[in-house]
Amino acid sequence: MKHNRRKPTRLNTRWPVFFNFVIPAVVCFFFFIGIGYAQSDASPDEENCLICHRYPRMGRYDEAGNKRVYYINDQLFAKSVHGKLRCKSCHVDLDKIPHENVKKVDCSIKCHLKDPSSNREFSHRGMVEKYENSVHGKGVNRQKKFPEDRPTCAYCHSNRSYNPYAGFWGKSEALSRETLARCQGCHTDKAWTEKVYAHFTHRLRRRRTQDEIVKLCTSCHEDKQKMARHGLEAISTYKDTFHWILVKYGVHNAPDCITCHVPVGYTTHEIRPRDDAMSPINKNNRIKTCSNQGGIQNCHPNATIKFAEGRVHAYGTKVQLMAAADKTKVSGNEEESLLIVRAREEITQSELFHYRVLSLISLFYKIFIGLVVGFMTMHQLLVHRRIKRNARKEDAHDAQ
Amino acid sequence: MTHNEISMAMDDVDTPIVQDSPRRYFVRLNLSERIQHLIFVTCFIMLALTGVMVWLPEKTFHFLGSAKETVFLVRSLLHRIFATIMILVCIYHVYYLIFKAAGRRWFKDMMPKVKDINDFGGNMLYLIGFRDEPPEFDRFSYKHKLEYGALIAGMTLMSVSGIILWSEYFWDKFIVDIAALIHGMEAVLACLALMIWHLYEVHLRPHKFPVDNMWLTGVIDEAEMKEEYPLHYKKIMSDPELQKIYLREGSKGSGQKTDSINA
Repeated sequence: MKHNRRKPTRLNTRWPVFFNFVIPAVVCFFFFIGIGYAQSDASPDEENCLICHRYPRMGRYDEAGNKRVYYINDQLFAKSVHGKLRCKSCHVDLDKIPHENVKKVDCSIKCHLKDPSSNREFSHRGMVEKYENSVHGKGVNRQKKFPEDRPTCAYCHSNRSYNPYAGFWGKSEALSRETLARCQGCHTDKAWTEKVYAHFTHRLRRRRTQDEIVKLCTSCHEDKQKMARHGLEAISTYKDTFHWILVKYGVHNAPDCITCHVPVGYTTHEIRPRDDAMSPINKNNRIKTCSNQGGIQNCHPNATIKFAEGRVHAYGTKVQLMAAADKTKVSGNEEESLLIVRAREEITQSELFHYRVLSLISLFYKIFIGLVVGFMTMHQLLVHRRIKRNARKEDAHDAQ
Repeated sequence: MTHNEISMAMDDVDTPIVQDSPRRYFVRLNLSERIQHLIFVTCFIMLALTGVMVWLPEKTFHFLGSAKETVFLVRSLLHRIFATIMILVCIYHVYYLIFKAAGRRWFKDMMPKVKDINDFGGNMLYLIGFRDEPPEFDRFSYKHKLEYGALIAGMTLMSVSGIILWSEYFWDKFIVDIAALIHGMEAVLACLALMIWHLYEVHLRPHKFPVDNMWLTGVIDEAEMKEEYPLHYKKIMSDPELQKIYLREGSKGSGQKTDSINA
């Protein structure tokens, strides 16, 4: 997805023509030549979309100058969760070639697949509704500001199978070959077994490493401007904590973003603001979150209330704004003023006091280290000069 | 052949055969103090190395691959082990200062006096060139006292903040934050101070490069004693009681009271 947000290039005026007309012509030519070599183990492509979409170079620069990749790797797609679906189940209204009025995929539509548990048509609607009500969602009743900043389903679920150029790829192995071999003892259709196995188990294990989770979350939350217009701080404050050091070294079960913000018993689709009683970082739920009860590893099992209620991220922009002298003045800049307004609501007096004490200690040490090192260097340089001078005097004396 | 015998044999080679008087050596550190110092140095270096790993940027240890998790866990374990040893050495040092005669002498000589301020001023004048002679230093000069004071203060801050960080769940998060800040800042201060002050004094200083052997042998010879600690030298030479403690004749090695082997 990151590729799609590149700056416009100068190519964008000429390339659409090239991709819309020349490439399809070339593609059709190669199709008729190479039809005999079509791979037989691919998924049933009843709609013949792969006639064109099987070519890795297929894509274009859109009107905004973003590079779009339209390549689908059929083998990877067949192994994916959606491998049994037809393309048009999700990509609706694509009857014309070249495609016109392409709509974005809506994950909440009905899939025309029967859910074996209820025997009704399966849909992600329930999940999408929950998500739209969370901090990340666009909101159901009231439209939130800047909807373009909010992550869509596919921003995080970058279905790795469709093409290898998609954004975030999990590195962790989703399949246990040993277990799979046991399944295949009875279920002899290898491709089917692998797909069903992957489907059942991919919620049982982490798909992304801790480091990848931090990268995924920071891909938005590190952007200062984007965060400021929602009244949020950029996330550099996490990387000043000891939690990040563990993630940096790839320690198993190290605390990444979702360890605290989506602990056991919560779901990623329902992340809520911290003053919500349903939030794991709400002060009333902190002890449970810090001890990570029910998790793979109990992080701070003996955590006291005092410890758990403290600030986890380092002090950042909001406290600095509050500590600045002209905190009552709201500047004309809308984004900055939203930060100040939010800061006034969120930053308590005790947090401000803590920030001031920590800054004072830090300042004291910086000055003190400077003075000590300066004094020592001067002193030792003088000693060295004097010793050399004495030696020269003695030499001169000996020479006489 | 013991170590002392080897050093004796080597002394024989170095020294002229005919000598007017036996060579005299002066004890600066006794055996216990040397062992304390040795353990402390080892701990300090290991703690600095394992400590700075926390601050390394991500890319510097990328080459470790999947081994970096093990490296980190070993690092954490080593840091705690050496910290414990270092604290124990310091506790022993306090015991040594109170209950051993040598320790009490050390403590008495280490106490700051008005003379130190005068010495500092005088020495600065000498270093700049306004005086021809340095002030006469006693057993410990203002340099030693500053360094020892810094060590006590630094060690207290580091162990208290370290223990707080070790039992983080027990404390107010604010206290933990302060402890983390002080632990890091004090570590930087200690390492820089040691590199500039101590490293120069015992390694880079002319006549001592590459290393002053005193930390292993515990003794310095008469010329060095006269030059660097003249007041203490005078005190020893005029007091037979002090001579028993600080004066060694014949060969290097503080543990020996043999007469001159060259005589």
